[in-house]
Amino acid sequence: MLQVLLVDDDTEFTDVACQIIEFIGHEVCVAANLKEAKEWLAQQKFDHVLLDFMLPDGSGLHLIDYLNKNDLKPFITLITGHPSVKGMLAGLCGPKVNYIVKPLQREDIEATLNKNTKQTKKINRNMPTLHFGCLVGESKPMQELYTMIERVSKTSANVMLMGESGVGKEVVANAIHTSTGTTDPIVATNCGALSKELISSELFGHEKGAFTGAIARKDGVFVRAGNGTLFLDEVTEMPIDMQPNLLRVLENKCVIPVGGTREIAVNCRVVSATNRKMTELAQGNIIREDIYYRLAVFPIQIPSLSERKEDIPLLAEVFLQQLNAENNTSYTWSTEQLDILKSNSWPGNVRELRHAIHRAFIMSDPASKKIQLPDTFISPFAGNDNNSSAISAGQTIEDLEKELIRVTLDKVDGNKTQAAEMLGISTKTLYNRLHAYGDFSV
Amino acid sequence: MNSKNNDINQLIHDTRGPLNRISMQAELIKMLLENDMPKDKALTAVNKIIMACQDCSKSLQEIADFTVAMKDPSK
Repeated sequence: MLQVLLVDDDTEFTDVACQIIEFIGHEVCVAANLKEAKEWLAQQKFDHVLLDFMLPDGSGLHLIDYLNKNDLKPFITLITGHPSVKGMLAGLCGPKVNYIVKPLQREDIEATLNKNTKQTKKINRNMPTLHFGCLVGESKPMQELYTMIERVSKTSANVMLMGESGVGKEVVANAIHTSTGTTDPIVATNCGALSKELISSELFGHEKGAFTGAIARKDGVFVRAGNGTLFLDEVTEMPIDMQPNLLRVLENKCVIPVGGTREIAVNCRVVSATNRKMTELAQGNIIREDIYYRLAVFPIQIPSLSERKEDIPLLAEVFLQQLNAENNTSYTWSTEQLDILKSNSWPGNVRELRHAIHRAFIMSDPASKKIQLPDTFISPFAGNDNNSSAISAGQTIEDLEKELIRVTLDKVDGNKTQAAEMLGISTKTLYNRLHAYGDFSV
Repeated sequence: MNSKNNDINQLIHDTRGPLNRISMQAELIKMLLENDMPKDKALTAVNKIIMACQDCSKSLQEIADFTVAMKDPSK
């Protein structure tokens, strides 16, 4: 028997749903709004929350956030009239959130409650908190990130996410979207994956017969996102000559589909992402300045995994529990293994960590409960940035010193005081060396 | 345009409410009949279905009126 909390403001529905849930064999309490739901949750423990999406004092997502923040872990089923919520739930990941679509049938309720009965056995109560339903980490850089997400989600400002490859830019985009509480979807597109010919059609849509192969009218991603979020991944990989078209949409808030004449108003927030560094954006001819200022009204730098090593055990725990839930296993980490994971550099960030854990999970002995880590974590991409500074026999000490100074200056964007500090020499010595090299222009 | 879209979304949401009630009341009736439970409960559920059908019809009419008004802004 489960303790169920039903949160819905339609009293006729809650009356009849209660009779059905009690008949199925569970105990049920009813809340008509978020306030009442929080009061119930403070009073007693629930195994399952059936939650209406639209409540008089907020969205069901606010309650999910409340549950996460307060370390309460009931299974949550969103009751929605909108199948589009599926896109949003993709961002809430975690195996403990699902949804059912109105109009409900008894089988829907029965199936979702039975699912919980089966899963509660598998889920470890020590699951780290999923902030905004998807972000893991309690480190200072992550706390700062959460504050930024919370603040920006209250506005309609466009956001540019920056960070190394694998830091989880799409997950952060989902977190921003979830935090807004909108029922409209998040639509993602990868600007780097689209050919020059297709990019306009993908972004702005096309009319029937606009070009060969356009057999039907198609809405672009701006229109499909509605009042939700449009996630433009690898936005800096968009051909520069296509960027003015994007600028026009961002400025005028309306699109004209390819081959069409009528303007369609758009109202989505644009969250874009790039793994290019700030200096690259400014120096290389990658993104037009006017587009940058439109897209990066609120730029967010996502920390790399090496900047938040203390979060590695939490991430490892979440990934392992997700794999356990998917595969009906119950592997656990030992403290030593978590220390090994923590000491690795993970140049591929969270993506590489997740990949390594998945690999270790597959390699582990099903008869043992302990996961088996490989002796070393080898990534073909590790250290690529430093290839130029590899040492080989035949080089002079002067060459190496010169290279070290160049790499250090690159790292600190040409800041000589900072570079001197990193090199362990005085700024004056650094200037002397640069002067001695003569042709060394930074 | 967006506020109109929001309005129509709200109207559609309002229509799903009674539909959901109809579905659940019908499930309740099925459950009562299958388990030989008191008929008066089933009768109450039937009456609620009839009322929800009226609500649904009203909501659909509002959507129809709204769509006409969207096409002809003078109305």
